[in-house]
Amino acid sequence: MILIGENIQILSKVVSNALKEKDEKPLQDLAIRQAKAGADYIDLNIGPARKDPDVMKWLAGVIQEAVNKPLSLDTTNPIAMEAGLSVCKIPPLINSASGKQESKEKMLPLAAKYNCDVVVSVLIDAGIPTDSSSRAEAIMETVAYANEIGIPNERIWVDPIMMPISVDQPQVVELFEFMKILQDICPGAKSTLGLSNLSNGAPEHLRGILNRICIVMLERFGCFSAIVDSFDEELVMLAKGQLPEISDLIYKAMDEEIDISSLPKKETDIVKTVNVLMGKSLYSHSWLET
Amino acid sequence: MQLNDFFEPYKGDIKEVTVGPEGKAVKLGGEKTLPFHGFEGQLGAPVRFALEVFDVAPEGWPEHLRSFYADVLTNPVAWADKCVKQFGADIISLFLASLDSDNFDAAKIAENVKKIADQVSVPLVVMGIGDKDKDAKALVEISKACKGKNLLLGPLVKENYEEIAKAAMEGGHGIIPQSPLDINLCKELNVKLTKFFPKEKMAIDPLSAAIGYGIDYSFSIMERVKQVAVIHNDEMMKMPIVSNIGKDCWKTKEAKEDKTQGILWEAITALTLILAGANLLIMRHPESLKLVKKLIS
Repeated sequence: MILIGENIQILSKVVSNALKEKDEKPLQDLAIRQAKAGADYIDLNIGPARKDPDVMKWLAGVIQEAVNKPLSLDTTNPIAMEAGLSVCKIPPLINSASGKQESKEKMLPLAAKYNCDVVVSVLIDAGIPTDSSSRAEAIMETVAYANEIGIPNERIWVDPIMMPISVDQPQVVELFEFMKILQDICPGAKSTLGLSNLSNGAPEHLRGILNRICIVMLERFGCFSAIVDSFDEELVMLAKGQLPEISDLIYKAMDEEIDISSLPKKETDIVKTVNVLMGKSLYSHSWLET
Repeated sequence: MQLNDFFEPYKGDIKEVTVGPEGKAVKLGGEKTLPFHGFEGQLGAPVRFALEVFDVAPEGWPEHLRSFYADVLTNPVAWADKCVKQFGADIISLFLASLDSDNFDAAKIAENVKKIADQVSVPLVVMGIGDKDKDAKALVEISKACKGKNLLLGPLVKENYEEIAKAAMEGGHGIIPQSPLDINLCKELNVKLTKFFPKEKMAIDPLSAAIGYGIDYSFSIMERVKQVAVIHNDEMMKMPIVSNIGKDCWKTKEAKEDKTQGILWEAITALTLILAGANLLIMRHPESLKLVKKLIS
Protein backbone atom coordinates (compact mmCIF):
# COMPACT_ATOMS: atom_id res chain seq x y z
CA MET A 1 0.00 0.00 0.00
CA ILE A 2 1.22 3.48 -0.85
CA LEU A 3 1.71 5.55 2.30
CA ILE A 4 1.47 9.32 2.41
CA GLY A 5 3.18 10.62 5.54
CA GLU A 6 0.98 13.09 7.41
CA ASN A 7 3.50 14.43 9.89
CA ILE A 8 4.17 17.79 8.29
CA GLN A 9 0.89 19.45 9.10
CA ILE A 10 -0.10 22.88 10.26
CA LEU A 11 -1.81 21.75 13.46
CA SER A 12 1.55 20.62 14.82
CA LYS A 13 3.23 23.35 16.84
CA VAL A 14 6.69 22.53 15.55
CA VAL A 15 5.44 22.78 11.98
CA SER A 16 3.44 25.97 12.37
CA ASN A 17 6.33 27.72 14.12
CA ALA A 18 8.83 26.58 11.52
CA LEU A 19 6.55 27.79 8.74
CA LYS A 20 6.13 31.15 10.42
CA GLU A 21 9.87 31.58 10.96
CA LYS A 22 10.74 30.04 7.59
CA ASP A 23 12.99 27.70 9.54
CA GLU A 24 13.67 24.81 7.16
CA LYS A 25 15.63 22.52 9.48
CA PRO A 26 12.81 20.97 11.58
CA LEU A 27 10.67 20.54 8.49
CA GLN A 28 13.41 18.84 6.53
CA ASP A 29 14.10 16.62 9.53
CA LEU A 30 10.49 15.56 9.62
CA ALA A 31 10.58 14.76 5.92
CA ILE A 32 13.80 12.76 6.17
CA ARG A 33 12.56 10.79 9.15
CA GLN A 34 9.30 10.00 7.38
CA ALA A 35 11.06 8.85 4.25
CA LYS A 36 13.27 6.61 6.37
CA ALA A 37 10.25 5.24 8.20
CA GLY A 38 8.71 4.14 4.91
CA ALA A 39 6.51 6.99 3.65
CA ASP A 40 6.17 6.96 -0.13
CA TYR A 41 4.85 10.51 -0.36
CA ILE A 42 5.43 13.42 1.99
CA ASP A 43 2.24 15.35 2.70
CA LEU A 44 2.64 19.10 3.13
CA ASN A 45 -0.45 20.31 4.94
CA ILE A 46 -0.34 24.09 5.27
CA GLY A 47 -4.03 24.65 5.93
CA PRO A 48 -5.86 27.29 3.88
CA ALA A 49 -2.79 29.64 3.92
CA ARG A 50 -4.91 32.68 3.17
CA LYS A 51 -2.34 35.24 4.26
CA ASP A 52 0.66 33.72 2.60
CA PRO A 53 -0.12 31.33 -0.26
CA ASP A 54 3.53 31.43 -1.36
CA VAL A 55 4.49 29.46 1.73
CA MET A 56 3.73 26.29 -0.25
CA LYS A 57 6.32 27.25 -2.84
CA TRP A 58 8.95 27.73 -0.16
CA LEU A 59 7.99 24.56 1.70
CA ALA A 60 7.91 22.33 -1.40
CA GLY A 61 11.31 23.77 -2.34
CA VAL A 62 13.01 23.01 0.97
CA ILE A 63 11.46 19.56 1.34
CA GLN A 64 12.49 18.34 -2.09
CA GLU A 65 16.02 19.50 -1.32
CA ALA A 66 16.00 17.10 1.63
CA VAL A 67 14.24 14.00 0.29
CA ASN A 68 13.85 12.34 -3.06
CA LYS A 69 10.16 11.54 -2.63
CA PRO A 70 7.09 12.87 -4.38
CA LEU A 71 5.15 15.45 -2.40
CA SER A 72 1.47 15.60 -1.60
CA LEU A 73 0.51 19.26 -1.62
CA ASP A 74 -2.21 19.57 0.95
CA THR A 75 -4.24 22.78 0.96
CA THR A 76 -7.73 23.91 0.00
CA ASN A 77 -6.31 27.12 -1.40
CA PRO A 78 -5.84 26.88 -5.19
CA ILE A 79 -3.40 29.82 -5.25
CA ALA A 80 -1.16 28.13 -2.69
CA MET A 81 -1.57 24.86 -4.59
CA GLU A 82 -0.40 26.40 -7.84
CA ALA A 83 2.51 28.09 -6.08
CA GLY A 84 3.63 24.66 -4.89
CA LEU A 85 3.00 22.93 -8.21
CA SER A 86 5.19 25.44 -10.03
CA VAL A 87 8.35 24.29 -8.23
CA CYS A 88 7.94 20.51 -7.83
CA LYS A 89 10.59 18.47 -9.62
CA ILE A 90 8.84 15.11 -9.20
CA PRO A 91 5.17 15.26 -10.24
CA PRO A 92 3.33 15.80 -6.93
CA LEU A 93 -0.10 14.80 -5.76
CA ILE A 94 -2.75 17.51 -5.46
CA ASN A 95 -4.43 16.97 -2.09
CA SER A 96 -7.20 17.67 -2.56
CA ALA A 97 -10.03 18.57 -4.87
CA SER A 98 -13.68 17.71 -4.31
CA GLY A 99 -17.07 17.88 -5.93
CA LYS A 100 -17.70 21.33 -4.50
CA GLN A 101 -18.35 23.84 -7.24
CA GLU A 102 -15.44 26.03 -6.25
CA SER A 103 -13.03 23.12 -6.18
CA LYS A 104 -14.23 21.91 -9.59
CA GLU A 105 -13.63 25.34 -11.04
CA LYS A 106 -10.31 26.19 -9.43
CA MET A 107 -8.57 23.10 -8.09
CA LEU A 108 -9.31 20.31 -10.57
CA PRO A 109 -8.08 22.29 -13.61
CA LEU A 110 -4.67 22.49 -11.91
CA ALA A 111 -4.33 18.71 -12.21
CA ALA A 112 -4.98 18.99 -15.94
CA LYS A 113 -2.66 21.96 -16.34
CA TYR A 114 0.26 20.39 -14.44
CA ASN A 115 -0.48 16.87 -15.61
CA CYS A 116 -0.32 15.38 -12.13
CA ASP A 117 -2.34 13.06 -9.91
CA VAL A 118 -5.11 14.50 -7.80
CA VAL A 119 -7.00 13.39 -4.71
CA VAL A 120 -10.73 13.87 -5.29
CA SER A 121 -12.90 13.53 -2.22
CA VAL A 122 -16.57 12.58 -2.14
CA LEU A 123 -17.39 15.94 -0.59
CA ILE A 124 -19.99 17.94 -2.53
CA ASP A 125 -21.74 21.25 -1.96
CA ALA A 126 -24.44 19.46 0.04
CA GLY A 127 -21.81 18.09 2.47
CA ILE A 128 -20.24 14.71 3.13
CA PRO A 129 -22.42 11.87 1.81
CA THR A 130 -23.68 9.60 4.56
CA ASP A 131 -23.80 6.15 3.00
CA SER A 132 -22.00 4.12 0.36
CA SER A 133 -24.48 4.75 -2.44
CA SER A 134 -24.57 8.51 -1.96
CA ARG A 135 -20.77 8.45 -1.86
CA ALA A 136 -20.87 6.58 -5.17
CA GLU A 137 -23.31 9.07 -6.65
CA ALA A 138 -21.20 12.04 -5.57
CA ILE A 139 -17.89 10.67 -6.82
CA MET A 140 -19.26 9.52 -10.18
CA GLU A 141 -20.39 13.03 -10.93
CA THR A 142 -17.11 14.64 -9.92
CA VAL A 143 -15.04 12.04 -11.74
CA ALA A 144 -17.10 12.51 -14.91
CA TYR A 145 -16.39 16.22 -14.69
CA ALA A 146 -12.67 15.57 -14.18
CA ASN A 147 -12.63 13.25 -17.22
CA GLU A 148 -14.24 15.96 -19.30
CA ILE A 149 -11.50 18.44 -18.51
CA GLY A 150 -8.82 15.92 -19.40
CA ILE A 151 -8.01 14.02 -16.19
CA PRO A 152 -8.23 10.25 -16.69
CA ASN A 153 -9.40 7.90 -13.92
CA GLU A 154 -5.86 6.59 -13.49
CA ARG A 155 -4.73 9.97 -12.19
CA ILE A 156 -7.58 10.31 -9.71
CA TRP A 157 -7.16 9.19 -6.11
CA VAL A 158 -10.65 8.93 -4.70
CA ASP A 159 -10.98 9.93 -1.03
CA PRO A 160 -14.15 8.47 0.53
CA ILE A 161 -13.55 10.55 3.72
CA MET A 162 -12.93 8.59 6.87
CA MET A 163 -15.08 9.65 9.84
CA PRO A 164 -14.21 9.13 13.51
CA ILE A 165 -15.58 5.81 14.73
CA SER A 166 -16.41 7.33 18.11
CA VAL A 167 -18.76 9.78 16.43
CA ASP A 168 -20.45 7.67 13.79
CA GLN A 169 -19.55 3.99 13.72
CA PRO A 170 -21.94 3.02 10.89
CA GLN A 171 -20.03 5.44 8.63
CA VAL A 172 -16.93 3.27 8.86
CA VAL A 173 -18.89 0.30 7.57
CA GLU A 174 -20.34 2.46 4.79
CA LEU A 175 -16.83 3.48 3.80
CA PHE A 176 -15.77 -0.17 3.49
CA GLU A 177 -18.81 -0.87 1.34
CA PHE A 178 -17.85 2.03 -0.88
CA MET A 179 -14.27 0.77 -1.21
CA LYS A 180 -15.60 -2.56 -2.41
CA ILE A 181 -17.54 -1.02 -5.29
CA LEU A 182 -15.09 1.71 -6.25
CA GLN A 183 -13.48 -0.21 -9.10
CA ASP A 184 -16.89 -0.96 -10.59
CA ILE A 185 -17.94 2.66 -10.68
CA CYS A 186 -14.57 4.30 -11.46
CA PRO A 187 -12.45 1.63 -13.16
CA GLY A 188 -8.75 2.32 -12.86
CA ALA A 189 -9.13 5.03 -10.24
CA LYS A 190 -6.83 4.94 -7.24
CA SER A 191 -7.92 5.68 -3.69
CA THR A 192 -6.64 7.23 -0.50
CA LEU A 193 -7.98 8.54 2.80
CA GLY A 194 -6.95 10.26 6.01
CA LEU A 195 -6.65 7.18 8.19
CA SER A 196 -5.95 8.90 11.50
CA ASN A 197 -9.32 10.60 11.48
CA LEU A 198 -10.79 7.17 12.21
CA SER A 199 -9.47 7.25 15.74
CA ASN A 200 -10.04 10.93 16.38
CA GLY A 201 -11.84 11.19 19.73
CA ALA A 202 -10.83 7.68 20.82
CA PRO A 203 -8.62 7.37 23.92
CA GLU A 204 -5.11 8.49 22.93
CA HIS A 205 -3.38 5.22 23.84
CA LEU A 206 -5.86 3.19 21.79
CA ARG A 207 -5.73 5.22 18.59
CA GLY A 208 -2.90 3.14 17.18
CA ILE A 209 -4.66 -0.20 17.28
CA LEU A 210 -7.72 1.19 15.50
CA ASN A 211 -5.57 2.73 12.76
CA ARG A 212 -3.41 -0.36 12.38
CA ILE A 213 -6.19 -2.91 12.11
CA CYS A 214 -8.14 -0.65 9.80
CA ILE A 215 -5.34 -0.21 7.29
CA VAL A 216 -5.10 -3.96 6.79
CA MET A 217 -8.85 -4.17 6.29
CA LEU A 218 -8.80 -1.25 3.87
CA GLU A 219 -6.11 -2.83 1.78
CA ARG A 220 -8.15 -6.00 1.57
CA PHE A 221 -11.09 -3.94 0.34
CA GLY A 222 -8.87 -2.63 -2.44
CA CYS A 223 -7.74 0.68 -1.01
CA PHE A 224 -4.65 1.91 -2.88
CA SER A 225 -3.12 4.27 -0.35
CA ALA A 226 -3.62 6.07 2.93
CA ILE A 227 -2.45 9.23 4.60
CA VAL A 228 -0.90 7.98 7.83
CA ASP A 229 1.29 8.68 10.82
CA SER A 230 4.68 7.66 9.38
CA PHE A 231 6.08 7.16 12.84
CA ASP A 232 3.71 4.32 13.74
CA GLU A 233 6.22 1.59 13.00
CA GLU A 234 3.84 -1.34 13.27
CA LEU A 235 1.33 0.38 11.03
CA VAL A 236 3.92 0.90 8.32
CA MET A 237 4.99 -2.74 8.57
CA LEU A 238 1.39 -3.94 8.34
CA ALA A 239 0.70 -1.71 5.35
CA LYS A 240 3.79 -3.03 3.63
CA GLY A 241 2.77 -6.63 4.25
CA GLN A 242 5.62 -7.35 6.64
CA LEU A 243 3.48 -8.83 9.43
CA PRO A 244 1.59 -11.57 7.57
CA GLU A 245 0.51 -13.40 10.73
CA ILE A 246 -1.34 -10.38 12.03
CA SER A 247 -2.84 -9.66 8.62
CA ASP A 248 -4.07 -13.25 8.39
CA LEU A 249 -5.73 -13.06 11.78
CA ILE A 250 -7.43 -9.82 10.74
CA TYR A 251 -8.72 -11.45 7.53
CA LYS A 252 -9.96 -14.43 9.48
CA ALA A 253 -11.78 -12.20 11.96
CA MET A 254 -13.36 -10.37 9.04
CA ASP A 255 -14.65 -13.62 7.55
CA GLU A 256 -15.83 -15.62 10.52
CA GLU A 257 -16.70 -15.56 14.20
CA ILE A 258 -13.58 -16.30 16.20
CA ASP A 259 -13.79 -17.76 19.67
CA ILE A 260 -11.59 -15.40 21.65
CA SER A 261 -11.77 -17.25 24.95
CA SER A 262 -8.54 -19.15 24.33
CA LEU A 263 -6.59 -16.39 22.56
CA PRO A 264 -3.77 -14.36 24.14
CA LYS A 265 -4.41 -10.68 24.88
CA LYS A 266 -2.87 -9.24 21.73
CA GLU A 267 -4.89 -11.52 19.44
CA THR A 268 -8.05 -10.94 21.45
CA ASP A 269 -7.62 -7.20 21.05
CA ILE A 270 -7.21 -7.60 17.30
CA VAL A 271 -10.39 -9.64 16.96
CA LYS A 272 -12.36 -7.21 19.14
CA THR A 273 -11.12 -4.29 17.08
CA VAL A 274 -12.07 -5.98 13.80
CA ASN A 275 -15.55 -6.60 15.23
CA VAL A 276 -15.93 -2.95 16.16
CA LEU A 277 -14.67 -1.74 12.77
CA MET A 278 -16.98 -4.14 10.91
CA GLY A 279 -19.92 -2.88 12.98
CA LYS A 280 -20.42 -6.34 14.51
CA SER A 281 -20.15 -4.90 17.99
CA LEU A 282 -21.13 -1.49 19.21
CA TYR A 283 -18.21 0.91 19.72
CA SER A 284 -17.43 2.35 23.12
CA HIS A 285 -14.14 3.84 24.29
CA SER A 286 -13.56 0.68 26.27
CA TRP A 287 -14.21 -1.77 23.44
CA LEU A 288 -11.18 -3.83 24.41
CA GLU A 289 -12.51 -4.33 27.93
CA THR A 290 -15.79 -6.05 27.11
CA MET B 1 -45.77 -25.57 8.21
CA GLN B 2 -46.35 -22.84 10.72
CA LEU B 3 -45.58 -19.16 10.74
CA ASN B 4 -42.99 -19.79 13.46
CA ASP B 5 -40.91 -21.89 11.09
CA PHE B 6 -39.93 -18.73 9.28
CA PHE B 7 -38.56 -16.97 12.31
CA GLU B 8 -35.03 -17.20 13.49
CA PRO B 9 -34.91 -16.80 17.25
CA TYR B 10 -33.04 -13.74 18.51
CA LYS B 11 -29.75 -14.34 20.26
CA GLY B 12 -30.14 -11.62 22.84
CA ASP B 13 -32.73 -10.36 25.29
CA ILE B 14 -33.45 -7.57 27.73
CA LYS B 15 -32.68 -8.23 31.38
CA GLU B 16 -35.52 -8.35 33.82
CA VAL B 17 -35.05 -5.77 36.54
CA THR B 18 -37.08 -5.78 39.73
CA VAL B 19 -37.87 -2.52 41.50
CA GLY B 20 -39.26 -2.24 45.02
CA PRO B 21 -39.12 -4.54 48.05
CA GLU B 22 -40.84 -7.88 48.29
CA GLY B 23 -44.56 -7.51 48.52
CA LYS B 24 -44.73 -4.49 46.27
CA ALA B 25 -42.08 -5.29 43.68
CA VAL B 26 -42.60 -4.49 40.00
CA LYS B 27 -40.66 -6.00 37.10
CA LEU B 28 -39.26 -4.07 34.14
CA GLY B 29 -38.15 -5.47 30.80
CA GLY B 30 -37.41 -9.17 30.34
CA GLU B 31 -38.41 -9.35 26.67
CA LYS B 32 -36.68 -11.76 24.31
CA THR B 33 -37.68 -9.86 21.21
CA LEU B 34 -37.85 -6.34 19.81
CA PRO B 35 -40.49 -3.93 21.18
CA PHE B 36 -44.00 -5.22 20.43
CA HIS B 37 -42.64 -8.07 18.31
CA GLY B 38 -44.58 -10.62 20.32
CA PHE B 39 -45.04 -12.66 17.16
CA GLU B 40 -41.29 -13.30 17.04
CA GLY B 41 -40.44 -13.98 20.63
CA GLN B 42 -41.55 -13.71 24.19
CA LEU B 43 -42.56 -10.24 25.38
CA GLY B 44 -41.43 -9.14 28.81
CA ALA B 45 -43.20 -7.19 31.51
CA PRO B 46 -45.76 -4.68 30.24
CA VAL B 47 -44.59 -1.10 29.82
CA ARG B 48 -44.63 0.49 33.28
CA PHE B 49 -45.75 4.00 34.11
CA ALA B 50 -44.49 6.18 36.90
CA LEU B 51 -45.96 9.53 37.87
CA GLU B 52 -43.75 12.18 39.33
CA VAL B 53 -43.99 13.46 42.88
CA PHE B 54 -41.84 16.36 44.11
CA ASP B 55 -40.35 16.32 47.58
CA VAL B 56 -41.06 20.06 47.86
CA ALA B 57 -43.91 21.81 46.06
CA PRO B 58 -43.00 22.53 42.43
CA GLU B 59 -42.92 26.01 40.97
CA GLY B 60 -43.82 27.21 37.51
CA TRP B 61 -46.28 24.47 36.62
CA PRO B 62 -49.14 25.61 34.36
CA GLU B 63 -52.52 25.68 36.08
CA HIS B 64 -53.91 22.93 33.83
CA LEU B 65 -51.29 20.59 35.29
CA ARG B 66 -51.06 21.96 38.81
CA SER B 67 -54.80 21.82 39.45
CA PHE B 68 -54.77 18.01 39.37
CA TYR B 69 -52.47 17.94 42.35
CA ALA B 70 -53.49 21.20 44.08
CA ASP B 71 -54.62 19.44 47.27
CA VAL B 72 -51.44 17.38 47.70
CA LEU B 73 -48.56 19.48 46.35
CA THR B 74 -47.01 20.03 49.76
CA ASN B 75 -47.51 16.48 50.97
CA PRO B 76 -45.47 13.95 48.97
CA VAL B 77 -47.03 10.93 50.69
CA ALA B 78 -50.57 12.08 49.93
CA TRP B 79 -49.46 13.07 46.43
CA ALA B 80 -48.00 9.63 45.77
CA ASP B 81 -51.06 8.00 47.19
CA LYS B 82 -53.27 9.97 44.84
CA CYS B 83 -51.09 9.01 41.85
CA VAL B 84 -51.40 5.33 42.71
CA LYS B 85 -55.01 5.12 43.82
CA GLN B 86 -56.68 7.66 41.57
CA PHE B 87 -54.41 7.85 38.55
CA GLY B 88 -53.13 4.28 38.30
CA ALA B 89 -49.36 4.81 38.52
CA ASP B 90 -47.35 1.54 38.73
CA ILE B 91 -44.40 3.30 40.28
CA ILE B 92 -43.75 6.69 41.90
CA SER B 93 -40.83 8.76 40.71
CA LEU B 94 -39.76 11.06 43.48
CA PHE B 95 -38.01 14.16 42.18
CA LEU B 96 -35.63 15.71 44.70
CA ALA B 97 -36.59 19.30 44.00
CA SER B 98 -35.27 20.24 47.44
CA LEU B 99 -31.73 19.88 46.04
CA ASP B 100 -32.27 23.12 44.16
CA SER B 101 -31.63 25.00 47.38
CA ASP B 102 -28.01 25.84 48.17
CA ASN B 103 -28.15 24.70 51.76
CA PHE B 104 -29.94 21.42 51.48
CA ASP B 105 -29.53 18.82 54.19
CA ALA B 106 -28.84 15.44 52.62
CA ALA B 107 -29.59 13.53 55.81
CA LYS B 108 -32.94 15.23 56.17
CA ILE B 109 -33.80 14.58 52.54
CA ALA B 110 -32.90 10.92 52.98
CA GLU B 111 -35.05 10.69 56.08
CA ASN B 112 -37.96 12.11 54.14
CA VAL B 113 -37.44 9.67 51.24
CA LYS B 114 -37.47 6.81 53.69
CA LYS B 115 -40.76 7.99 55.14
CA ILE B 116 -42.28 8.20 51.67
CA ALA B 117 -40.90 4.80 50.64
CA ASP B 118 -42.38 3.26 53.77
CA GLN B 119 -45.83 4.69 53.27
CA VAL B 120 -46.31 4.40 49.52
CA SER B 121 -47.75 1.12 48.29
CA VAL B 122 -45.72 0.95 45.05
CA PRO B 123 -41.95 0.96 44.30
CA LEU B 124 -40.04 4.21 44.26
CA VAL B 125 -37.73 5.75 41.70
CA VAL B 126 -35.68 8.58 43.18
CA MET B 127 -34.35 11.16 40.77
CA GLY B 128 -31.81 13.88 41.47
CA ILE B 129 -31.92 17.23 39.73
CA GLY B 130 -29.04 16.58 37.31
CA ASP B 131 -26.37 18.34 39.37
CA LYS B 132 -23.59 15.77 39.61
CA ASP B 133 -22.34 16.79 43.06
CA LYS B 134 -25.66 17.46 44.76
CA ASP B 135 -27.19 14.31 43.29
CA ALA B 136 -24.29 12.19 44.44
CA LYS B 137 -24.42 13.59 47.95
CA ALA B 138 -28.15 13.04 48.31
CA LEU B 139 -28.37 9.67 46.56
CA VAL B 140 -25.54 8.21 48.66
CA GLU B 141 -27.33 9.34 51.82
CA ILE B 142 -30.64 7.95 50.55
CA SER B 143 -29.02 4.61 49.68
CA LYS B 144 -27.98 4.21 53.29
CA ALA B 145 -31.19 5.42 54.89
CA CYS B 146 -33.40 3.26 52.68
CA LYS B 147 -31.38 0.06 52.85
CA GLY B 148 -33.26 -2.92 51.47
CA LYS B 149 -36.08 -0.93 49.89
CA ASN B 150 -34.78 -1.66 46.41
CA LEU B 151 -35.22 1.86 45.11
CA LEU B 152 -34.20 2.81 41.59
CA LEU B 153 -31.78 5.73 41.89
CA GLY B 154 -30.77 8.15 39.17
CA PRO B 155 -29.44 9.77 37.20
CA LEU B 156 -25.87 8.44 37.33
CA VAL B 157 -23.55 10.22 34.92
CA LYS B 158 -19.92 9.66 34.02
CA GLU B 159 -18.78 12.14 36.67
CA ASN B 160 -20.57 10.59 39.63
CA TYR B 161 -21.43 6.99 38.79
CA GLU B 162 -18.81 5.34 40.99
CA GLU B 163 -19.84 6.99 44.20
CA ILE B 164 -23.56 6.49 43.73
CA ALA B 165 -23.33 2.95 42.37
CA LYS B 166 -21.18 1.80 45.28
CA ALA B 167 -23.64 3.20 47.79
CA ALA B 168 -26.57 1.74 45.84
CA MET B 169 -24.93 -1.66 45.88
CA GLU B 170 -24.44 -1.57 49.63
CA GLY B 171 -28.01 -0.47 50.14
CA GLY B 172 -29.37 -3.07 47.73
CA HIS B 173 -30.81 -0.57 45.25
CA GLY B 174 -31.02 -0.36 41.47
CA ILE B 175 -29.60 2.48 39.41
CA ILE B 176 -30.34 4.54 36.31
CA PRO B 177 -27.17 5.42 34.36
CA GLN B 178 -27.81 8.34 32.05
CA SER B 179 -25.89 9.20 28.87
CA PRO B 180 -26.17 12.32 26.72
CA LEU B 181 -28.03 11.07 23.62
CA ASP B 182 -25.04 9.06 22.42
CA ILE B 183 -25.19 5.30 22.10
CA ASN B 184 -21.41 4.87 22.30
CA LEU B 185 -21.22 6.83 25.54
CA CYS B 186 -24.22 4.87 26.80
CA LYS B 187 -22.28 1.66 26.30
CA GLU B 188 -19.13 3.18 27.76
CA LEU B 189 -20.89 4.00 31.04
CA ASN B 190 -22.46 0.53 31.15
CA VAL B 191 -19.08 -1.11 30.61
CA LYS B 192 -17.57 0.84 33.47
CA LEU B 193 -20.50 0.18 35.79
CA THR B 194 -20.81 -3.52 35.11
CA LYS B 195 -17.24 -4.03 36.22
CA PHE B 196 -18.54 -3.82 39.77
CA PHE B 197 -22.31 -3.40 39.60
CA PRO B 198 -24.80 -6.16 38.71
CA LYS B 199 -26.44 -5.76 35.30
CA GLU B 200 -29.73 -7.03 36.68
CA LYS B 201 -30.06 -3.92 38.82
CA MET B 202 -29.63 -1.36 36.07
CA ALA B 203 -32.16 0.44 33.89
CA ILE B 204 -30.63 2.89 31.44
CA ASP B 205 -31.69 6.38 30.45
CA PRO B 206 -30.22 7.23 27.02
CA LEU B 207 -31.94 10.60 27.47
CA SER B 208 -35.39 11.40 26.18
CA ALA B 209 -36.47 14.49 24.35
CA ALA B 210 -40.00 15.76 23.80
CA ILE B 211 -41.78 16.00 20.48
CA GLY B 212 -40.42 18.92 18.54
CA TYR B 213 -37.33 19.07 20.72
CA GLY B 214 -35.22 16.24 19.34
CA ILE B 215 -37.39 13.18 19.91
CA ASP B 216 -36.10 11.75 16.62
CA TYR B 217 -32.63 11.45 18.17
CA SER B 218 -34.00 9.74 21.25
CA PHE B 219 -36.07 7.41 19.13
CA SER B 220 -33.25 6.23 16.93
CA ILE B 221 -30.85 5.75 19.82
CA MET B 222 -33.37 3.74 21.82
CA GLU B 223 -34.26 1.72 18.76
CA ARG B 224 -30.58 0.94 18.21
CA VAL B 225 -30.05 0.02 21.85
CA LYS B 226 -32.75 -2.65 21.52
CA GLN B 227 -31.36 -3.92 18.23
CA VAL B 228 -27.83 -4.15 19.56
CA ALA B 229 -29.07 -6.01 22.65
CA VAL B 230 -31.64 -8.33 21.09
CA ILE B 231 -30.28 -8.93 17.59
CA HIS B 232 -26.55 -8.65 18.23
CA ASN B 233 -26.60 -10.00 21.76
CA ASP B 234 -24.48 -7.20 23.24
CA GLU B 235 -24.27 -7.94 26.97
CA MET B 236 -23.59 -4.30 27.78
CA MET B 237 -26.83 -3.01 26.28
CA LYS B 238 -29.42 -5.40 27.70
CA MET B 239 -30.78 -3.13 30.40
CA PRO B 240 -34.41 -1.98 30.27
CA ILE B 241 -34.85 1.64 29.19
CA VAL B 242 -36.22 4.43 31.36
CA SER B 243 -37.75 7.46 29.65
CA ASN B 244 -38.09 10.44 31.91
CA ILE B 245 -40.35 12.62 29.79
CA GLY B 246 -42.48 14.63 32.22
CA LYS B 247 -39.83 17.24 32.83
CA ASP B 248 -39.02 17.71 29.15
CA CYS B 249 -42.61 17.85 27.97
CA TRP B 250 -43.81 20.30 30.59
CA LYS B 251 -41.12 22.81 29.95
CA THR B 252 -42.15 23.21 26.30
CA LYS B 253 -44.22 26.28 25.50
CA GLU B 254 -46.66 24.06 23.59
CA ALA B 255 -47.51 22.06 26.71
CA LYS B 256 -47.65 25.11 28.93
CA GLU B 257 -49.93 27.24 26.81
CA ASP B 258 -52.89 24.91 26.34
CA LYS B 259 -54.41 22.08 28.34
CA THR B 260 -55.34 19.69 25.54
CA GLN B 261 -52.14 20.39 23.70
CA GLY B 262 -50.11 19.76 26.85
CA ILE B 263 -51.76 16.42 27.52
CA LEU B 264 -51.30 15.35 23.93
CA TRP B 265 -47.71 16.54 23.91
CA GLU B 266 -46.80 14.31 26.82
CA ALA B 267 -48.93 11.35 25.74
CA ILE B 268 -47.63 11.26 22.19
CA THR B 269 -44.06 11.72 23.34
CA ALA B 270 -44.60 8.73 25.63
CA LEU B 271 -46.23 6.64 22.93
CA THR B 272 -43.43 7.37 20.48
CA LEU B 273 -40.73 6.33 22.90
CA ILE B 274 -42.67 3.24 23.93
CA LEU B 275 -42.62 2.19 20.30
CA ALA B 276 -38.85 2.73 20.30
CA GLY B 277 -38.57 0.41 23.29
CA ALA B 278 -38.97 2.35 26.54
CA ASN B 279 -39.79 -0.01 29.41
CA LEU B 280 -40.54 2.58 32.09
CA LEU B 281 -42.09 5.97 31.41
CA ILE B 282 -41.83 8.72 33.99
CA MET B 283 -44.69 11.14 33.36
CA ARG B 284 -46.32 14.11 34.97
CA HIS B 285 -49.95 14.62 33.90
CA PRO B 286 -52.54 12.01 34.92
CA GLU B 287 -54.60 12.63 31.80
CA SER B 288 -51.59 11.99 29.55
CA LEU B 289 -50.98 8.78 31.42
CA LYS B 290 -54.59 7.74 30.98
CA LEU B 291 -54.49 8.51 27.28
CA VAL B 292 -51.30 6.64 26.55
CA LYS B 293 -52.46 3.61 28.52
CA LYS B 294 -55.62 3.59 26.46
CA LEU B 295 -53.62 3.86 23.24
CA ILE B 296 -51.44 0.84 23.94
CA SER B 297 -54.02 -1.40 25.59
